[in-house]
Amino acid sequence: MTGYKLGINGLGDVIGDIKGGTNILLIGPPMCGKNIILNNIMFQGLSDGEFAVFITTAESGENIINWFTENKKGVEDHMDQFGVIDCVSKTLGLNVGDTQTIKRVSSPVNLTGISVGITSFFEDFWMKKEIHKARMCIDSLSTMLMYSNIQTVFRFLHVHSRRIKTADAIGIYIVESGMHDEQTIVTVKQLFDGVLEIKNEEDNLFIRALGLSPKPTKWFGYEIDGAEVIVEV
Amino acid sequence: MIKTGIPKLDDYLNGGLPTGKSLLYYCQPGVEGDVFGMQTTYINLQQGYKSVCIATASSPDVIRGKFTEFGWPLEKFENQFEIIDAYSALIGADSSEKYVVEDPENIKNLDKVITEVIEDSSGKVIIHGSISNIIDMCGEDQALEYIENWNKYIMLYDVVGIYNFTVWPYSDKTVERIKDELFNAVIRIGGVSEHVIFGQYYSVTKADWTKAMIDSSILFKVLRPGGVKAFIPKLLVTGPFNAGKSSFVQSLSTRSVSVDRMGTTVALDIGHIDHKGFSADIFGTPGQERFDPILKLLGGEAMGVFLVIDSVKGNEFERARQMLEVTRTRGLPCVIVANKQDLPDALSIEEIKRQMEISKNIPIVPAVAKEKKGVFEAFEILIDQIMVGI
Ligand SMILES: Nc1nc2c(ncn2[C@@H]2O[C@H](COP(=O)(O)OP(=O)(O)OP(=O)(O)O)[C@@H](O)[C@H]2O)c(=O)[nH]1
Ligand SMILES: [Mg+2]
Repeated sequence: MTGYKLGINGLGDVIGDIKGGTNILLIGPPMCGKNIILNNIMFQGLSDGEFAVFITTAESGENIINWFTENKKGVEDHMDQFGVIDCVSKTLGLNVGDTQTIKRVSSPVNLTGISVGITSFFEDFWMKKEIHKARMCIDSLSTMLMYSNIQTVFRFLHVHSRRIKTADAIGIYIVESGMHDEQTIVTVKQLFDGVLEIKNEEDNLFIRALGLSPKPTKWFGYEIDGAEVIVEV
Repeated sequence: MIKTGIPKLDDYLNGGLPTGKSLLYYCQPGVEGDVFGMQTTYINLQQGYKSVCIATASSPDVIRGKFTEFGWPLEKFENQFEIIDAYSALIGADSSEKYVVEDPENIKNLDKVITEVIEDSSGKVIIHGSISNIIDMCGEDQALEYIENWNKYIMLYDVVGIYNFTVWPYSDKTVERIKDELFNAVIRIGGVSEHVIFGQYYSVTKADWTKAMIDSSILFKVLRPGGVKAFIPKLLVTGPFNAGKSSFVQSLSTRSVSVDRMGTTVALDIGHIDHKGFSADIFGTPGQERFDPILKLLGGEAMGVFLVIDSVKGNEFERARQMLEVTRTRGLPCVIVANKQDLPDALSIEEIKRQMEISKNIPIVPAVAKEKKGVFEAFEILIDQIMVGI
């Protein structure tokens, strides 16, 4: 089976295709466009005919989908490959049910519920729609860590990073740097094969990839322009 | 005695769960297990029981809403249903429940409320909550110590404990104690997987007051509304023309029919098997290529496949592999049945393995379908492949 395209121009060309079964940590400070980077990575999957499962603890499911419909032309054609697990709406007390694309989980504490949601999307896409390439993301582990302790989140990630391997899919997980102690970061990092690391130096943004190519890439400067990520090469 | 209200489970437990006992739904992550405890709760509300549900990961409103989703409205039972709210404080929300745990991460707080609820009850109460959430909040050792104590209370006051447990990778010691020691009954809820989990089943692994039917697996689906419903899985038998598929289905089945004309199958073979606590419907395809267009319909929803080959005909192995594509079953759990091993020039299993050029993980079982040899072995191996252990 062929690998996965990252979907970030410039950086993607340097690291080449990503192997199935790779779990990637996307870590960086606030306000550096991590979500837009993540969304672009997920959109690449949809365009390539993969299915995409988006777990959100930050925005309602509708907001996630709106971002794509407003910013990514042609995404309408891929809605039947797209699944969102919304851990936000019910926490806010909104009385909303599931839709074709969105499954609601009671709260980010409910890791059992999130797990059931993932399984059910994977079954649906893999068995019924016969799509055998997938990318899954969690935005963000930082929120999960606010509600549950590190051991609990670690156990959850342990199970699901392995499921990503078994399915030969890729997983992308967002962490806010600066929000957690060093020990927490070190602990979760063990579970990932690669890291996309972001830094902000005097309002200049840089990104690099570790563990996704034989050697770490250099730091690439980048800018966020609307919904696009522009990497300087 | 109370009923669990889960299909077949009360029969397997010889009637249900006696009062004063605890039952654990022991659930693989990703498999829908919460509904089991809810179903047991609701069935018993209807029998006049009271129920107290410990909310640890969802707000009380969301929990009530979930019952409604399954078609189990709680309005009628308002006086019988209470929630211990050990959730709102976690997210800093107010609570309007009768029982509120101020600091859920301190197990003493939770303990105080739970023991109080049990003491105040005059029997006929079901306590229902998630063990894994309590462990996650309070730590493994502490949580187990308290749970053990709650179970003593349950016995003393002759109430019933119904727990859910998601088997996250806790320490072996914790998992073993939960599985073997702490509860009177353990019902395992697992996933059927090959690359992804695509089916789910449950079985009794422990019931310490009766000689229960242990390890018989029931596949299930969760319906909204409706809850847990059992279903019979479908296994497909395919392979080249004249390989012995119909013979295989007949040998394996407790009852079967074939639609044959002049000794060849023109539609399909249908059988049903009950063997070692596992039942399945079996569908055999025709082997002639002219039927290929209809075969993909037969493969739909199959959970596993027997690929029957004629051990003499090495030149047909290519066609055999192709049958997995034609029936759209490649990637499902699969066993190769090397049939007609009684014939003098049958190839050995080693030789077949070499010539088949198929994934090494697919087991090959020698068989003589006509004489029922190897057919049950093949069935057991396929079931083992389908039911991955947890
Ligand atoms: N020697 C021997 N003959 C067998 C065995 N199993 C089946 N046969 C014979 O093989 C022939 C074909 O058997 P079937 O069971 O009808 O084969 P099939 O795969 O259903 O055939 P089609 O539906 O026409 O593709 C029959 O004459 C059987 O008696 C076996 O284990 N050994
Ligand atoms: Mg036949």
